[in-house]
Amino acid sequence: MHQLTLFITDLIALLGIYLIITFSLRLQLGYAGIANFGLVLAFTGGAYTVGWLPIRLGMWFFGVNSGLSSDMIWNNAIIISKINPQLESQPLVAVAVFLLTLISACVVGALLGFISGYPAARLRGDYLAIALLALGEVLGIIGGNFQPLVGGPLGVQVPDVWNWVGDLRFIVVSLLIFFLSLVVWVYMRFLEKSPMSRALRAVRDNRDAASSLGKAVPSVRLRTLMVGGVMCSIAGALYAFYTTGVTAGAYGMFDWTFLPWVMAIFGGVHSNWGVLLGTTIFVLVRKLITFYKYSLGFLPFSPIWLQYLLTGGVVLAILMIKPSGLITEKPSYAINKKTLQNIADRVLNNSSS
Amino acid sequence: MQTLVDAIVYSSLLSMMGFGLTLVRRTTGVWNVAQAGLVTIGAYSVFTGVRFLGGVPYIYLPIAFLISAAVNALLFWVFINPLRRRGSSFFVLLVATIAFNIVLNGLINIYTDFLQNAYSLSSKNFLFTRLDPSILDQSAILFVSLFGLILLTGILFFFLNFTRIGLALRGSIEDPTLSKVMGVKVNRIYLLSWAIAGGTAGFAGALLPMRFQCNPGIGGSLIAIMFSVSILGGVGEIYGPFLGGWLVGFAQIYGISLFSQAFGPWVLPYKKLLPMIILVLALLFTPQGLSGIDWSNKVGSLSKGGKD
Repeated sequence: MHQLTLFITDLIALLGIYLIITFSLRLQLGYAGIANFGLVLAFTGGAYTVGWLPIRLGMWFFGVNSGLSSDMIWNNAIIISKINPQLESQPLVAVAVFLLTLISACVVGALLGFISGYPAARLRGDYLAIALLALGEVLGIIGGNFQPLVGGPLGVQVPDVWNWVGDLRFIVVSLLIFFLSLVVWVYMRFLEKSPMSRALRAVRDNRDAASSLGKAVPSVRLRTLMVGGVMCSIAGALYAFYTTGVTAGAYGMFDWTFLPWVMAIFGGVHSNWGVLLGTTIFVLVRKLITFYKYSLGFLPFSPIWLQYLLTGGVVLAILMIKPSGLITEKPSYAINKKTLQNIADRVLNNSSS
Repeated sequence: MQTLVDAIVYSSLLSMMGFGLTLVRRTTGVWNVAQAGLVTIGAYSVFTGVRFLGGVPYIYLPIAFLISAAVNALLFWVFINPLRRRGSSFFVLLVATIAFNIVLNGLINIYTDFLQNAYSLSSKNFLFTRLDPSILDQSAILFVSLFGLILLTGILFFFLNFTRIGLALRGSIEDPTLSKVMGVKVNRIYLLSWAIAGGTAGFAGALLPMRFQCNPGIGGSLIAIMFSVSILGGVGEIYGPFLGGWLVGFAQIYGISLFSQAFGPWVLPYKKLLPMIILVLALLFTPQGLSGIDWSNKVGSLSKGGKD
């Protein structure tokens, strides 16, 4: 029973985190047609924010012995052991630290979206994709070598802002992450119905026509990359808070760029439901493979690689059979369908009478 | 001296890898991310040969070439060609090559796990420097990589200029419609270009362990650099990557030692960032690549170039 609870809480948390990333891709690729192969960049940015900021906020607020701050990385564990009990006894401060860090992560994500997007938004098609692909791991290289940031390859521990919840900590955090992903989903639903989505589609489908109608195409693309960056960064920050640790090498291209791509492409990147479906299926399958890893011990290789075969194979299959994904794009009407129908009826009646 | 050898070997291998990327981008408009997996396949073909049959690693080069060529041809024929015929957008094709690369990655890791568990071979990390015979007091790899590159360029030049298939290939690149009208079976020619590109990547990968530590992720760790080589050299010109490879290779090895003299040794670990900086600068200032710049009044050009 206990194992099942762990399985489900972890599943919900991962689902929430991946949903935020795949919705970011839905926005960038689905609406604006920007093939962002560098999702991992902003994700890493968010995680690094959590590795860097909360511990400093905690030290400043609780006035932890400043002698320790001479080497934040070396003294990381000691500082954490001093901050955590304080955070546990003062839930309001803990939540404030969490929110402040999340807001900072948003700023970092927007900034990373801007930096990678500024030159990139001017490039067309595949050059943009290649540039973003190559830039994706820049933060990983910097973080792995520049120790003061997040402790290099050894990583740092993060203050646990949810310890005050008690025994239910993991369940509450998972539900919170899932709730935040629902907020993103609501945002995407409103976007779907808004004129903004139609503007983005116009930029995607015919940039010349869009710019002739007064849409500043590079600016729209740049802003899309920034919002996408914010979303990925939030996901990275939530993941780091969830695991209470940040390690530079832990944010790889496969997990945090290719896998979200696979999920979105599989479900259908032009539909919110499609993205939801694709993400759920893949997170579940992935979790099951890790869960039954030891039952597959008879294999002469690590079962983790089966996930690679499965992931790659499924994408190739879906591209060959149904390239638009399981659920396809629906038109977005400026007024809702019923009103549209009423107007159509009225016009038809007038013309017939 | 060792740095110079490193730089020459590295640049030559980068040129070959970049060549594969440029060739298929030029013929079929696809950026082939699976090039990473092909390089690794080349390295492990040699590893398998040396560990099971012994001998000098160089005798397994043709096998490495053939296996990688076959794998890349398979990718093109089974997935890329049908997708292209349907008029899929560039990112669908790019995703297909990424997905194929993920499959290759899984297979390579399964294979190395298997070698490790069934034959107790240290397949996750290997280096063949000690198996490399020396010529004129230098490791043979220096000459092999250099002459390999020159030979490749020579064969390519001869092939493209003096053989019927080569001319057909050039024709299919320059003007596919006209080539079709003239009776060239364009798809077969494209298949050939994918095979050549894959083979070259495998060849370069097979030479890697003679100088550099290899592991199942070796190709993936080089893919960003390959893109820099290809884009800096310019996809408009088939010989572009040879220029790009030497520039990127020397910039990475000598540039970083210059930087470390200027700023101190702490910059050394950041040498991986250099190709990305080069890539971004290249995309910003010469998106058509160095060979795409109109040098035509100075140097005679094989093709028009610079269309992209």
